[in-house]
Amino acid sequence: MADVLSGYRTGEAFDEMIDAEGSVRPSYQAVYSALSRSSSDDLRMIAESLANNYTQAGVTFDVGGVERPFPLDLVPRVIASPEWEIIEAGVAQRVRALEAFLSDIYSDARVISDGVIPSQLVTSSTHFHRAVWGIQPSNGVRIHVAGVDLIRNPDGDVRVLEDNVRVPSGVSYVMTNRNAMVMAMPEAFANQRIRPVAGYPTRLLTALRKAAPSGVEEPTVVVLTPGVYNSAYFEHTLLARTMGVELVEGRDLECRRGKVFMRTTAGLQRVDVIYRRVDDEFLDPVHFRSDSMLGVPGLVNAARTGGVTLANAIGNGVADDKLIYTYVPDLIKYYLREDAILPNVDTWRLEDDQAREEVLDRLAELVVKPVDGSGGKGIVIGPRATKTELDTLRHRVTEDPRGWIAQPVVQLSTVPTLIEDCLEPRHVDLRPFAVNSGDDVWVLPGGLTRVALPAGELVVNSSQGGGSKDTWVLSPPVHRLSNHRHSIEPSDEADDQPKPQTDVPLTVAKIPIAVTPKIVETQRQQQDQQQQTRPWSCGC
Amino acid sequence: MLSRIAESMFWIGRYVERAEDTARLLQTHLRLIIEETAAHEVDACRNLLALMNVDHVEDPTLTDVLRVLGYDPAEPTSIYFSYASARDNARRAREVIPLDLWECINTTWHQLPTTPFGPSGAHVFLNWARERSAMFAGISRGIMVRDDGWQFMSMGRSLEQADMTSRLVASASLTHGSTQWPAVLRGCGGHDAFLRTYRGLYTDREAAEFLIVDARFPRSIMHGLVAAADSLQRVAQNNPLTAVHAAPALRSLGQLRARLEYADLDDLLGNLNHEMSVVQDVCAQVALAVSTSYFAAAESPAWTTEGTR
Repeated sequence: MADVLSGYRTGEAFDEMIDAEGSVRPSYQAVYSALSRSSSDDLRMIAESLANNYTQAGVTFDVGGVERPFPLDLVPRVIASPEWEIIEAGVAQRVRALEAFLSDIYSDARVISDGVIPSQLVTSSTHFHRAVWGIQPSNGVRIHVAGVDLIRNPDGDVRVLEDNVRVPSGVSYVMTNRNAMVMAMPEAFANQRIRPVAGYPTRLLTALRKAAPSGVEEPTVVVLTPGVYNSAYFEHTLLARTMGVELVEGRDLECRRGKVFMRTTAGLQRVDVIYRRVDDEFLDPVHFRSDSMLGVPGLVNAARTGGVTLANAIGNGVADDKLIYTYVPDLIKYYLREDAILPNVDTWRLEDDQAREEVLDRLAELVVKPVDGSGGKGIVIGPRATKTELDTLRHRVTEDPRGWIAQPVVQLSTVPTLIEDCLEPRHVDLRPFAVNSGDDVWVLPGGLTRVALPAGELVVNSSQGGGSKDTWVLSPPVHRLSNHRHSIEPSDEADDQPKPQTDVPLTVAKIPIAVTPKIVETQRQQQDQQQQTRPWSCGC
Repeated sequence: MLSRIAESMFWIGRYVERAEDTARLLQTHLRLIIEETAAHEVDACRNLLALMNVDHVEDPTLTDVLRVLGYDPAEPTSIYFSYASARDNARRAREVIPLDLWECINTTWHQLPTTPFGPSGAHVFLNWARERSAMFAGISRGIMVRDDGWQFMSMGRSLEQADMTSRLVASASLTHGSTQWPAVLRGCGGHDAFLRTYRGLYTDREAAEFLIVDARFPRSIMHGLVAAADSLQRVAQNNPLTAVHAAPALRSLGQLRARLEYADLDDLLGNLNHEMSVVQDVCAQVALAVSTSYFAAAESPAWTTEGTR
């Protein structure tokens, strides 16, 4: 332990492994003892094997056209089971509320007439698309997949930083991270049960099939990718592969009479559900950007007439608009009559004159974000910005107050991370993924933990030099028995319950492994002797 | 072809295939064991060893499993033993084996691990073991004349593959829980192909069907049986005088194929352990029949026939 953890100093942020008194949190005991048994050479070897694994498997993301292996840190982020139950419930609650919100504003908009949110808030959102007003998804689901970004503040409270209900990405890394970790650090898995993540593709496929247009018995599901140059292309291939469905590009599809078909060697084949990873603006040149090469003309009409289901639905962006975000606790109360389980981060709405003035005064100590951004783009962190940057920002905020929100600088919690040869605290966030099948909202145990690798850095996005960690949700210690054995509809029981003590009688394998029969010892000895007695005849 | 050489070729095929399949079996179950709690480690390890007919280890741990199936030269079930035996046989048939192939086997033997390793080092070794087998298969397919030697080698390989897949399939039912089949499919490298075939949603039934009777998948039991019968038939065609010797083995293979192909899948699943041990039984019978007809026959009647010609 002296080696790798001796220099570990927690800062003012909440540390996930070490508490304020300097002792190890219970959930981290196993990881801690595995780490303390390792030398820095061991850690370097593990880190190398993780990196090699990723390079070999092509687990990469694209930055400016260059494929890079996605940095995976060897220290996992561990979440204790009671805490996870809260996160799980909170994420599912948010998805249900946003689902109700979307369904409302794309029909009669009661939320506006009831005065919960102002109407211009919705209509001024760049992601509110009138083109899809009145479209009713066949099973009512618009948010098939959601990613909710969570952070932990210095008090230890988990808060929601933002919602992603358009095309949230990163789930592939959750699965590959686990694969790589099991191989590279098997010892760390010992003595604790970590909830599996491999059930995601089946969950997603089940949800997508349930979303098929009515009347389709055996729906054909496809994944629509912008193409190999997309930064998340790896994820698109992984999802298509693990769901056993085709990965298509826009040019593989065509719309005819309100139905969508893909071009195959066997002719045109009907497509019923499109899990699309293309942004709204590029999806249908007829309604959105007419110069889009990635979309399929006629897709919106096909969705409207019920010929195809798009997942996620078009126009979802209005729900993850960062100004709408400030109203989500109200939306939860309004639609679900519940209090928000996971609170928001305090946020200033800059359209309010008083708030704007306060923010403009304190610009140097706040974080200011564009409302429709993602991927950490356009974020200005006050304490780190230069004077010119702040001046530009002040100007832009005054010009377009609807376009920005402000939040206090939150010290995200930290997890030990291998930097060179030692473990140092680095800031992390967490993106759990939720899948809505229409019957229930399922949250993948864990999610993507992103880590900012530069010291003190608070922006954890992978396009900004971030890495990731495997996220371990520990199973509850209760041992319940389960007879669930089938894999068709993975339920938590089947996935997660401790297996009953095995009672399998060892009746198998009566058949021994056969070996070459003729290696008779005497014969071998004679052969040996012949060589020994006649060494000179070698080579004859 | 000399019977002795034919026998060596047969065993080279078997051992290389066995090394690869053992590596696959180990990788599959290492992962399952590691992701389960340690509370079941001993049971899981005992089941795994029982599957390979190892019963001399008391309360086995992961380390024991890695030793017995991995690196211990003295254990006939270890990958080490398989590759060493493949090389031993190759040395006996050195004159009929192409140089490249010999070098492949010999290098493999030289690279065998000399020190024990734990779970963290296992994957490097197991990946290596699989890669060497793939290289062997690639070289032999690429440059070997399709003579009797090739046929005997393919026969050994195919029989072994059917036998080992049946053990892997049986392992899916050994341990409780629903996550076994995907792991077993992944162990065979057939998970993606399977998902595409069955469009993502499936039950144990389809998984078993794919691994047992889908001859399109080259690691299925059916594929192994078909390929073994095919090689046997070629040998019979090439050697009309001894064609009659192929009959018993061909009959056993055919009967097993019919048994699996026309079985009710639910029955098959219900008696998976029994059915899989039948597969292993038949593979052993066939190997014995081939051995008495073609290898041992060298000392008995066949020799006389040749001598009188």
